[in-house]
Amino acid sequence: MSGFAAVLRKDLRLELRSGESTLALLALSMLVLVVLVFALDAARVRSVDAAAGALWVAMVFAGMLGANRALLAERANGAIRGLLLSPLDPATLYAAKLAAALIFMAIAEVGAVILMVLFFNLEFDASIARLAPILALGAIGFSALATLLSAITGRTRGGDMLLPILVVPIFVPALIAGVKASAAALAGMPLSSMGDWLKIMIAFDVLFVTAGYLLFEHVVGED
Amino acid sequence: MNNSAIRNGLGYATLALMLTALFMVFDYVPPEAEQGIAQLIFYFHVPLAWVAFASFGLVAIAGVFYLWLGDQLWDDLGYAAAETGMVFCTLMIVAGSIWAKPIWGTWWTWDSRLTTTFILWLMYGGYLMLRASADDTPQVARFAAVLGIVAVLDVPIVIASVRLWRTIHPAVLVTKQGGHGLEDPRMVATLLVCLAAFTALWAWLLMLRFTQLRTRSKMGALAMRIAFATAAASDGK
Amino acid sequence: MSAPVVETHGLAKTYGPAPVLRDVELRLLPGAGAFVIGGNGCGKSTLLRILAGLEAPSSGRALVFGQDTRKLAARYRRRIGMMAHQSFLYPNLTARENLEFFGDLYSIANPHASIDQWLARVGLADVADTRVRTFSRGMEQRLSAARAMLADPALLLLDEPFASLDHDGAETIAKSIHAAIERGASVIATAHGVPEIEGVEFAVFEISRGLLVPREHKEEVRRGGRIRSLLGR
Repeated sequence: MSGFAAVLRKDLRLELRSGESTLALLALSMLVLVVLVFALDAARVRSVDAAAGALWVAMVFAGMLGANRALLAERANGAIRGLLLSPLDPATLYAAKLAAALIFMAIAEVGAVILMVLFFNLEFDASIARLAPILALGAIGFSALATLLSAITGRTRGGDMLLPILVVPIFVPALIAGVKASAAALAGMPLSSMGDWLKIMIAFDVLFVTAGYLLFEHVVGED
Repeated sequence: MNNSAIRNGLGYATLALMLTALFMVFDYVPPEAEQGIAQLIFYFHVPLAWVAFASFGLVAIAGVFYLWLGDQLWDDLGYAAAETGMVFCTLMIVAGSIWAKPIWGTWWTWDSRLTTTFILWLMYGGYLMLRASADDTPQVARFAAVLGIVAVLDVPIVIASVRLWRTIHPAVLVTKQGGHGLEDPRMVATLLVCLAAFTALWAWLLMLRFTQLRTRSKMGALAMRIAFATAAASDGK
Repeated sequence: MSAPVVETHGLAKTYGPAPVLRDVELRLLPGAGAFVIGGNGCGKSTLLRILAGLEAPSSGRALVFGQDTRKLAARYRRRIGMMAHQSFLYPNLTARENLEFFGDLYSIANPHASIDQWLARVGLADVADTRVRTFSRGMEQRLSAARAMLADPALLLLDEPFASLDHDGAETIAKSIHAAIERGASVIATAHGVPEIEGVEFAVFEISRGLLVPREHKEEVRRGGRIRSLLGR
């Protein structure tokens, strides 16, 4: 079995066993959406802009939690050293952690979309299906960035507070594009009309997956 | 070349250029027809923007060299560039705000250039917070280098997405495509002098800070050698 | 004379301004074993981590299998097995699952047979399918040893392998170490003092004020080095 598959399988197995992270992510998404419902008074007005915005806020927070936890498992018993010692390539480790973070985020996204439809008075129709590729692109870019940066923040005193500070400004372009495209999709526009936004998200994803893959070895060592 | 000679040279050049620039802005160049006196901030705003972004680029370049060569010099340069750049970025945001009030009536506006600069400011802030929240080890230097590189790679995408998102900047500014609404050659001359003046100021401050950090690193290396030598000396006993 | 498995030249390591290791010269030949002893914080764990490629030296060089430890390629890392104070094990996986994972990473042949064998060797066969979280420190240590030796490494780096073990546990590990040497592996192990284990025929070094000092006044460690008195300091 390849190193990538071994690490991913181990992470999924660990998660299936405890379910902690999935539960935490779903809970966080839901709570964020609840707060926004009351903050934006979504009960009265059917607004796709508010819904899209709230969805992405929930995703960003859940995504940060997910990325943190993907690397957290390696801190017990110094497991990360065992991985660094092994023939496993740091770039491959990055790919596996990215995949794990993506899976967590995807689960959280499904939950968040369902709640968004319910809380913001929308319909379960074709517009939701059009959300899927947009959310997927957003999740890939976010996970790529957050996996790389959480390897840094996990080792510094700032810790939990530092990760959002580093991630959010860098994620802004994908956030803008994602929210705009999502709002358009919910309003019934076809994907072809959001070409520019999707291009930005694709460029973001390609750039940061590549950057993460190449730079991870510098952030994951000791010393 | 003597470092302090360069620093002093830059200092005098900055002084001369700044005085010239101030004269040109307040005495020489005619104010722009539509916006009146407030438009003069443009001559500070644009150079500040150029310097803020250039400094950020330097942080990333220094980061690349640090990861590649491992020499502490590059880390010191990157850190100095980040601190210096942060100063100019803050100034630019303040200048933007001062300009916005008389022109658009609000203290802040999310137009594309101000937004992009604000994002840049947040990135600088993140970099400096990372540095502040960890000790001075080679590992943290690597972290900072990676962060700088990642952030700079993002800047073009930020610019593109923010521009797509919103713009209400009047056409009188120098646009990225190089065309500009500055008709009067005196305006162009003033802008160029201001660019030179602020670049000199930036370079001078950068050199000062960089020299400080270099000295600190060298002292650290020296302390280490003394520790080794002391231990070796008491070996024979 | 065959090429040394481990070599260091002027190896030094500082944490901040304090030198932990300075000018360590070491040469270890295939099939030889060395004990490095010293008190807490003397640098023996640091030395092992540098040799494993986990940390970079501040100056000097460390070579393992002739390669600079700062840039060890995967095929050389495959031949190193390490035990540290931390077990590197996943608490929520079972003993068997942990070994399966590392077996995958090291691409071992006949994983199922090897894993069963090792679990039996370290006396954990009956708890193979229990989570490591429930293990005692001694059990975790024994599993960590199995993890380190699973891929039949050519170089074993063992940081205080006998700590937290009762006499039987220590004997188990000692037997595995011997078996590894029989197969031609080289071993560097650390301890606070020379362990009182039967049949341990290693040359002994001590780290004193950052220098590696041979207890037997020998710089090179050869196969079957002289037995050092086990009753000494």
